[in-house]
Amino acid sequence: MNLSSGTLFRLLRSGGPVLGLLLVCGLFSLTEERAFIFTGGNLKNILIQTVVVAIGALGMTLIIIGGGIDLSVGSVVAFTGVLAAKLLVAGWAPWTTTLALVVVGGSIGLLNGAIIAGFRMMPFIVTLGMMGIVRGAAKWLANNQTVNAPPDSPVGQLMARVNPTEFWPLPPGVWIALGLAALMAVVLQKTVFGRYVFAIGANETAARYSGVQVGPVKAATYAISGLLIGCAGLLQMSRLTQGDPTVAVGLELDIIAAVVIGGASLSGGVGSIPGSLIGALIMALLRNGTNQLGWQTYSQEIIIGMVIVLAVGLDQWRQSRRGG
Amino acid sequence: MKNLLAAALVGMFSVLALAAEPSYTIAVIPKGNTHEFWKSIHAGAVKAEQELGAQGIKVNLFWKGPLREDDRDQQIQVVENFTSRQVSGMVLAPLDSQALVAPVAIAAQAGVPTVVIDSELKSDKQLSFIATDNFKGGQMAGEFLAEQLGGKGNIILLRYQVGSASTEAREKGFLDALQKHPGLKLISSDQYAGVTRETAYQASQNLLNRFEREVNGVFCPNETVTIAMTKALRDIGRAAGEVKIVGFDSGTQSVLDLTNGDVQGLVVQDPVKMGYLGVITLVRHLEGKPVERRIDTGVSLVTKDNMAQPEMAALLAPPIADYLKE
Repeated sequence: MNLSSGTLFRLLRSGGPVLGLLLVCGLFSLTEERAFIFTGGNLKNILIQTVVVAIGALGMTLIIIGGGIDLSVGSVVAFTGVLAAKLLVAGWAPWTTTLALVVVGGSIGLLNGAIIAGFRMMPFIVTLGMMGIVRGAAKWLANNQTVNAPPDSPVGQLMARVNPTEFWPLPPGVWIALGLAALMAVVLQKTVFGRYVFAIGANETAARYSGVQVGPVKAATYAISGLLIGCAGLLQMSRLTQGDPTVAVGLELDIIAAVVIGGASLSGGVGSIPGSLIGALIMALLRNGTNQLGWQTYSQEIIIGMVIVLAVGLDQWRQSRRGG
Repeated sequence: MKNLLAAALVGMFSVLALAAEPSYTIAVIPKGNTHEFWKSIHAGAVKAEQELGAQGIKVNLFWKGPLREDDRDQQIQVVENFTSRQVSGMVLAPLDSQALVAPVAIAAQAGVPTVVIDSELKSDKQLSFIATDNFKGGQMAGEFLAEQLGGKGNIILLRYQVGSASTEAREKGFLDALQKHPGLKLISSDQYAGVTRETAYQASQNLLNRFEREVNGVFCPNETVTIAMTKALRDIGRAAGEVKIVGFDSGTQSVLDLTNGDVQGLVVQDPVKMGYLGVITLVRHLEGKPVERRIDTGVSLVTKDNMAQPEMAALLAPPIADYLKE
């Protein structure tokens, strides 16, 4: 009971993103295409299209709250996706493959975190480097081509759109994303570790003087994000039914945008899991809706860009009014 | 409030009344938006729309590429979104022969038929496949290059992109033709240009830095690679016929390069016909008529000598402006 009322409170507090989502829904419902956009089948569609960005946003929220950034996640999605296809082709069972991906993703994240915390290097630079290293490694592992997963593998069903015109059943991928989101919300809000992350992001020096082990906690945020990205890689592979070393270029920017639209501050200390999820949904909904309206691709890019700036601007305005 | 509601109801009914007329909503989904090739496909689709309109069949055309060029996941999203939109049918140039199989199957399941154009899809769920015989086009390029070099010389093949079925077929056809000419030596065939003019330009420069002195002839499997490689050769003063270049597809820049003698030959497809037949075939099916499963739209080799002939000129400079408002 205590937990659920707390969750409700946080949902209300992340009011900005919810308002944004309602606004976008409202705008689309003014068009004739609402008959197509607000159908069960299409809502399922939007949810599936959000899954990879949403899972990425869970870890990114943690990192950004801690005052960091991770530019390597798109590359790690591609790398773990290729690895998944390779392992499945080699005859690994789906669950051992998943385990391997989570371990590999987590290790890359831990490496990022260890370098950032250990050598006190800028996260932007370290993960920018890792972005290139892992992208190259993905192409190397894939021998420069897409790796097709075995067509009958159950992994291919994770993101499958069974019954395309109805909302139910949702594919396992959507449930996995929701489950991970709930888990991460608890980690962030209910654990000492979560409190430490907020404290470091808000004021690192103060956190250090209060006895927080800043280095290990920071490294842990990158490692946890890596574990999640391993899952995202598996789901991305499942969606394409192949490991594609060139997939998810620029995904990190979509993820960061989702987190920022969701109310997080790039200077650290502020952010929430529900907010980031809604941020991811807003972007997917915008893409989906403008698509069905038949708008040009460039107009989508312009709109999404404006939404990012507007969302952050509005949020700052709200905060400053509350503060003053 | 009541007035508003009434107005909304009237609006909805008028929409329903419109929908009752015989009309089709057709989504045409290219691989990207920026290549001139896709604009020709678009022009062809608009041409079909206009002709069908004159016959009393109203077609409402959506033209929509993936948000990021050459991103498979983005193209899947476009296909999924149009499936949800319940369009009458889709004309799709799949970015990947494998990754787009499931979305097309799901569209078919949801009652949205798909005509595949340009690149192969490894599926039997599509209505028809309308494309150039790319292997034949590659062979044509190989034979022409052999003729240009008198059957002797060092050859570079700069590949386009991993997983792109159409360009891979051209590359295969080209290599097949080379085998008939033992005097032609392939000195590089394992490099990829990538999808943008910039990546292709860099790849060309890097290759030429290594093979500048040896190379006698180059095959470029699409418009981007042709333009980039020609520019790189011009930079080092080895264009203008010194190194023979055979390209694929035509665009404003590559036609200019052909006129100036930097490019010796261009294998050209008929993208206008591809877009046109894509829409026509889909509408034929929607009207309940039988359609062919495979339609070849043909290839031609354009050189400086024959480029003025009217049929070649139409292929080199497709009448895009007649159909698209720029």
